Amino acid sequence: MSALKNRATSSLLKSETKSLQRFLSLYILLVMMVISTLGVLYYQAHKELMLSAQRAELVKYAYIQTKRLKVLHHFFDDQRTYPRDPRFRSAIYDIEYKEIFSLLKNRSVDFTQEIYLKDGVIHFVKSMDIFYLGAKYLILEIEDDGAWHKHLIKKILGYGTAAFFLFLFFGYFLAKLFVKPMRDSIMLLDRFIKDTTHELNTPLSAILANIEMMDTDVMVEKNRKKLNRINIAAKTVSILYQDLTYLTLEQERENENEKIDIAELLYDRIEYFKVLVESKALDYEMDINHAEIVMDRRKLTRVIDNLLSNAIKYNKRKGIVGIRLREGSLEIWDTGVGIPEEKRAFIFDRYRRFNESEGGFGIGLSIVKRILDEYGIRIEVFSEKDKGTRMVLKW
Amino acid sequence: MVKKLFMLLALSIGVFAENAYERNCVPCHRELPTDLQGMFKNYLLVYSGEETVKAALRHYMRYPSKHISVMSDLFIDTYGIKETLQISDQELKEAIDLYWEKYKVFGKLN
Repeated sequence: MSALKNRATSSLLKSETKSLQRFLSLYILLVMMVISTLGVLYYQAHKELMLSAQRAELVKYAYIQTKRLKVLHHFFDDQRTYPRDPRFRSAIYDIEYKEIFSLLKNRSVDFTQEIYLKDGVIHFVKSMDIFYLGAKYLILEIEDDGAWHKHLIKKILGYGTAAFFLFLFFGYFLAKLFVKPMRDSIMLLDRFIKDTTHELNTPLSAILANIEMMDTDVMVEKNRKKLNRINIAAKTVSILYQDLTYLTLEQERENENEKIDIAELLYDRIEYFKVLVESKALDYEMDINHAEIVMDRRKLTRVIDNLLSNAIKYNKRKGIVGIRLREGSLEIWDTGVGIPEEKRAFIFDRYRRFNESEGGFGIGLSIVKRILDEYGIRIEVFSEKDKGTRMVLKW
Repeated sequence: MVKKLFMLLALSIGVFAENAYERNCVPCHRELPTDLQGMFKNYLLVYSGEETVKAALRHYMRYPSKHISVMSDLFIDTYGIKETLQISDQELKEAIDLYWEKYKVFGKLN
């Protein structure tokens, strides 16, 4: 009991972990988006700053080049050499954006921007008032060594990573804070179910144990039949109890896998269901060879119990329950009512009962399927109406 | 006699000139102090591109006016406004195209 309590309080429940994971994933995504957006904005602001610093210099160069173009315009009859400057490269375009002359390295010019950075060069576009040599646009080009870019990227990555981990740290505590009310209510419900099922277990075990201890030889036939019925009813409730306990508590538990002798477990469960089998005057047809599997014993027991209990429950009076065990396969079949074809696809759905005439919640086969899926065991269902059902497990 | 011969020669040069530009532009501008290249540079200063320059020239040839002239006020006051050019649209277009090709800046810088 103390171990169970410890597990429930100190470690996270599966549902809690899932909620925490979902919250953290969403939180991380949002944090990354915010940090990325801030990074991009910071980068753009710095780029603008760098360009405006270059702009001041380029305006000066443009003034000088315009004066040179003016001179060239007036002396164009004799002078045809375009003015060059070691500090920049330049080009002139007419009002129709046709290149008059160009010394640019990157000739793709964007006339809609005054200054911009493209492919490692900075372009400054000056719109002229007087079109010397027909030039409406004077383009100046200087190299950009990219040092500011490298420095900025390093800075953004550094601060971005630090901010990310800081947010992650806060996020984790925030998530735990948000999950706490849910955790408290789950714990409350968990404790309630555990306590009530535990309370149910004690009287049920007492009934079953006392029935086993009763000496039926000294009873009159009438009383023996009554006791038998009590025994059957108690075992049916016990199976239901086991399924409910599994659903509410045990599936949260870690698996305790071990090598299991399936034949031995089968004989044990057959003995357990003996009274039920006798009550319907059923016969067993057993073909059991030695077979082993590595699995959690409680889970394999749930699978066998549910399959056997269905084979008994839905069988005809004086019918047969067949069990065939081989290495790698287990078949349990009956000569019962069978499952209608249209319902066969849904038999593993929870709360689905394929025969309303019998009791139960319809959780048995849902548990079976979940356990089998967990261990990668295939199940095949063969059924014929009014002839019976055959469940084949293969691993 | 010599005067008659000279006039005949001048007339034959005008009529049998090689192209529309030489036939319609050169003879008149020969008399002016500002040459055709200087005027072309003035057009470039104001209109910049090929299409705009040609359009402006076409318009001015048909509707010459002081207000739209690219020449200085001093020039206009001294030499006046030219008369409307009475040639066909095709001939005018051809003359302007040749004028553009002769004095354009494209491909002439190095």
